[in-house]
Amino acid sequence: MTADALPHTTPRRRLTPGRACLLLGLLSAGLALAHLHAGPGLTAGLASLVNISSASTEALVLHFAWWPRLAMALMAGGGLALAGVLMQQVLRNPLAAPTTLGVASGANLALMAASLLAPGLLVLGREWVALAGGGLAMGLVFALAWRRGLSPMVVVLGGLVVNLYFGALAMVLLLFHQEALKGMLIWGAGSLSQNGWQDAAFLAPRLALGMLGAAWLLRPLAVLELDEAGARSLGVSLKWLRLGGLGLAVFLTGCVVSVVGVIGFIGLAAPNIVRLAGARRLGTRLLWSTLLGALLLATTDQLLQRYSGILPTLIPTGATTAALGAPLLLWLIPRLRLHGSAPPRPSGTPTARHAAPRRLAAGLALALIAVVVIGALAGQGAAGWQWASPLDGELLQWRLPRLAAAAGCGLMLAIAGTLIQRLTANPMASPEILGISGGSAIALMGAIFLIPAPSNPMLVGAGVLGALAALAVLVMVNRKSGFQPERLLLTGVAITALFEAIKAILLAGGDPRGQQVIAWLSGSTYYVDTASALTVTGAALVLALLAAPLARWLDILPLGAATAASLGIDLRRARLSLLLLVALLTAAATLVVGPLSFVGLLAPHMARLMGFTRARAHLAGAALTGATLMVLADWLGRQLLFPQEIPAGLVASLLGGAYFMWGLRRL
Amino acid sequence: MSLPYRLRHRASRWLAGPFLMLLALLLHALPALAESPRLATLDWTLAETLSALDTPPVAVGQVDAYHAWVREPALPSSVTDLGLRTQPNLELLASLDPERILVTPMFSNLTPRLERIAPVENLALYTPGRDTWTEMRELTHQVAALVDRDAAATRLIEDTEAHLEHLKQERLDDDAPPLLVVQFMDARHVRVFGDNGLYQAVLDRLGLDNAWTGTTNAWGFSLVAIEALAGLDARLVVVEPYPAGVRATLSESGLWQRLIERSRGEPLTLAPVWSFGALPSARRFADQLVGALENDDDR
Repeated sequence: MTADALPHTTPRRRLTPGRACLLLGLLSAGLALAHLHAGPGLTAGLASLVNISSASTEALVLHFAWWPRLAMALMAGGGLALAGVLMQQVLRNPLAAPTTLGVASGANLALMAASLLAPGLLVLGREWVALAGGGLAMGLVFALAWRRGLSPMVVVLGGLVVNLYFGALAMVLLLFHQEALKGMLIWGAGSLSQNGWQDAAFLAPRLALGMLGAAWLLRPLAVLELDEAGARSLGVSLKWLRLGGLGLAVFLTGCVVSVVGVIGFIGLAAPNIVRLAGARRLGTRLLWSTLLGALLLATTDQLLQRYSGILPTLIPTGATTAALGAPLLLWLIPRLRLHGSAPPRPSGTPTARHAAPRRLAAGLALALIAVVVIGALAGQGAAGWQWASPLDGELLQWRLPRLAAAAGCGLMLAIAGTLIQRLTANPMASPEILGISGGSAIALMGAIFLIPAPSNPMLVGAGVLGALAALAVLVMVNRKSGFQPERLLLTGVAITALFEAIKAILLAGGDPRGQQVIAWLSGSTYYVDTASALTVTGAALVLALLAAPLARWLDILPLGAATAASLGIDLRRARLSLLLLVALLTAAATLVVGPLSFVGLLAPHMARLMGFTRARAHLAGAALTGATLMVLADWLGRQLLFPQEIPAGLVASLLGGAYFMWGLRRL
Repeated sequence: MSLPYRLRHRASRWLAGPFLMLLALLLHALPALAESPRLATLDWTLAETLSALDTPPVAVGQVDAYHAWVREPALPSSVTDLGLRTQPNLELLASLDPERILVTPMFSNLTPRLERIAPVENLALYTPGRDTWTEMRELTHQVAALVDRDAAATRLIEDTEAHLEHLKQERLDDDAPPLLVVQFMDARHVRVFGDNGLYQAVLDRLGLDNAWTGTTNAWGFSLVAIEALAGLDARLVVVEPYPAGVRATLSESGLWQRLIERSRGEPLTLAPVWSFGALPSARRFADQLVGALENDDDR
């Protein structure tokens, strides 16, 4: 129930939605007036809204850039907040929002693809391209979550997976077309700057239409606050109602996103703040959220305009709100009521245990060896396809370290995935989702941009520090709840959102070093040399040995907290140590293959489908599968577009994503 | 080592067996060509400089993109594409057996790996705080020293400087307005070029003023919204390409139209020039700019 999903605030409530809006409104108006006052003066500034008879450039800029920008900020913020309320109401999920459901990343990918393949479409209408992409992405999220009754957690995790997958696809496009797509990077980071009233004139009627639609759906949507049976007994067609509400939300998001780009977190933050401030009924929440969203974005934008002028680059508003929204989400997580006491559902369909897991594992090991041999000896050179001699040291010095690193990373991610999936009893969990990869990636981007000519050891050090910082955040936010699986995963969502935001800001500036960031983010074994390959494989073996004795915990934990406690397991200690192991495994692998691989999700799934059911067998099976997958991905990536290389992480995530879609029915 | 390979390579392409001797003689007659070492480079700026010295590299990263964004001097068809500039294909590079690999500081994290293939030379351009033109001349000399073409470098520098001086003296009016060189990123944002960049260096040589005095990043540009250009008394110079749909949107933009009205004449449009290039790009930019200014005067 939506209203119950948040704690009841204390009776002595000081913050009401009205007061919050008043406060922000005053701040925003104050900033705006200060800007006008510093410019041509108050009266002339206000006059510039309607007429441009004055010849001064100042008045011109105010009329054609500053005022439309203010109008745009208000409209975009209001529209996104409205979309957020609609999504949260329909899905009865306090975490639903345009960004968390993948609408924004779908629109982003669609526009990128269109600008490369069919630029004519962009001339005809950007908003329809954005709408199509956004709708497709959200449809995918629903398909992912359908079997679990669109349960809030699964929807948000599905959104995250879709965000990651579409992000990976966008990364492939970026890697090979950075020069052609540099404008898209600014759009993806959400800039509000305007140079006329045409965009505002485009958005205003569509926004009005969306508001009318929301008002029309108000009564039936309010019925959704009842539980499903109650709603049905009142004669409401739930299916159509949901479809209508979500369709409206996607339409609003698509329109906003197509003119100003991706604006993060307003759609999530505004409705939640309004609800925390005490608005309960749908009508009041719609009204106040829209207002608050508008003011929130306008204030942020005014502050940015005021203070970012000193930098030689543009700081886009959309990505900035997203970066500010991430801490807000971290703050919200302990305050959400997530029905965590219910025993988790068994993950995946029960699969038959394989009669002889050992024989199966031996088969997998043979497959791994075969893939390694192919990877080491087959490949293209200047003269086309060649089969190298096993004694060709000149050639193998390049291939062997990469193969070893790929295998090591695949193995570590697979073990981390198995641990986290068993720990959370959630088949959609994977190490990427915990945000450790994201933390490590944030630190690496910082190192590339802040250190003039970073050496590889420096980059590795930064990556490890980032992973540890992310781990610290995970522990701090979740210690109180005893590392409850759902909250843990939500923390990961927040860290990943922060990572996306920082990435967007850095890439939007158009700095040539962005290419390096993209190259690393896409997760290639390219940068591996013999020393690091040995380190990675060594770490993989040591950590794998560490994981083996934990198998008993892994057999018991999925049975639920009560069962585990009654069997004498110290839950907190077990969860914390497993978590630490997952963090180490993920950090070590991320440094090599980047934050975007689905192997941690894929390998445990496949191992389970093959019939490895007991924890120890599951770990071994997943490890072998993961190593094989990664070596295969690395080899394919080196051959498909020779001499250009598609990074192994991207190949793996494209394969993994496809498998994920295919396996939906089994979820 | 290098001579037989070159011979075989070129011969198989253009000539049948009997002409082999003739070619060898020819190459001997042109010692500079014959002895030029086999160089590979990841960077387009170094590639264009090498080509301008008549010693094109044997391998470059992203050859297709080079031809889309740098255009001239064109690379010979025999050049091998190494794949992405940030991740050149090492197996391929090693199999080409270059004598030396040229990189810029941006690729310095690859140096240890590249050094296993051949000695690596790290050449800087656009170092913040240094005069771009001086650095460009030094870069040309450094590159030339590696291919033993010092005379050619001197010639290239002198030719370029003389050509720019000629443009300045003979073909430019003294009262040319200040210019504002921009490249559109989308309909609302431009890169505006200033200090520490190629365009600025050329404007300086031509005695033209740049109206943009704001800050720029290490690559000589600043990403700004169009409104930042308002109030600058200048002639707009737009370096192509326009992204898809941008021209149409601009024709509806109130601010852009007013900016043009108030600027010093219609905006000049120039074909793409590699904005992080060296002398060859500088010369192309100067030619196009002066040509556009002249065309405009004729009208």
